[in-house]
Amino acid sequence: MNVRDARRRLVSPGSYILFLLLLAGIWLTISPFVMATQPSGMHWIASTINNVTIGTIMIVVSLLGMLGYMLFALRDLIREAPSKQAMEQQASQSPVDQ
Amino acid sequence: MRITQPALGKYICGMVASLIIALAGGWLILAPFALGYQPYSASWTSQTVNDFVMGISVAVVGLISFALFFYSLLGALRAAGVITARLRPVAQTPAPYQPQATAPQASAPSQSDLDRTLATLAEALAADLTARRQTGSDQQSDQSVEQMMNRRDAQ
Repeated sequence: MNVRDARRRLVSPGSYILFLLLLAGIWLTISPFVMATQPSGMHWIASTINNVTIGTIMIVVSLLGMLGYMLFALRDLIREAPSKQAMEQQASQSPVDQ
Repeated sequence: MRITQPALGKYICGMVASLIIALAGGWLILAPFALGYQPYSASWTSQTVNDFVMGISVAVVGLISFALFFYSLLGALRAAGVITARLRPVAQTPAPYQPQATAPQASAPSQSDLDRTLATLAEALAADLTARRQTGSDQQSDQSVEQMMNRRDAQ
């Protein structure tokens, strides 16, 4: 298996979209301060608390989703490796036996 | 069909994450009205517009991500043989018509007794039809000759 195949198995199309959602979460977290809807030097207002909370949840969940997918895919690759090696060895030895 | 144990953990992980984020998008749409920082009967504040637009985008993109992971899961299940691939109906082209009466002996070994009987019957019918046509044309020619002779006699 070459690098491209390994990368394809580790990163699915859904993971790219989760990355987009991670960026959206970052924007949601910083938007009250960038758009100046949160008055400086005061307690956070309701919209700021909501946006920062939801943004943080989106960042954490999208990161967990991407990393979880990659870890599970890596585990599958590691599990498949011995059987593939055995098959390749068998394929390389079979012409010699004949 | 070979059935192997599929590894589904990665797809379920992605689907759960996508679903949570899609629900968060739905909450973002409702939040300005639910939390009361958007006054009723007033034009939307910039924070409301931001939350609403981001909420719709996040909900739609989260659902797309969920669908992608779900289709990957279905593909893995099909590859493992757990579920069977949907068979597409193959369009059957009509076989060209081959008259059995012209060459019944050529395909005789592959035909059943009924086919052979039908071919013999069709051959007999075709021969009868041609014989009738020939006799009919002879009678018509005889009648036309007699009519010509009668006209000459009358003149």
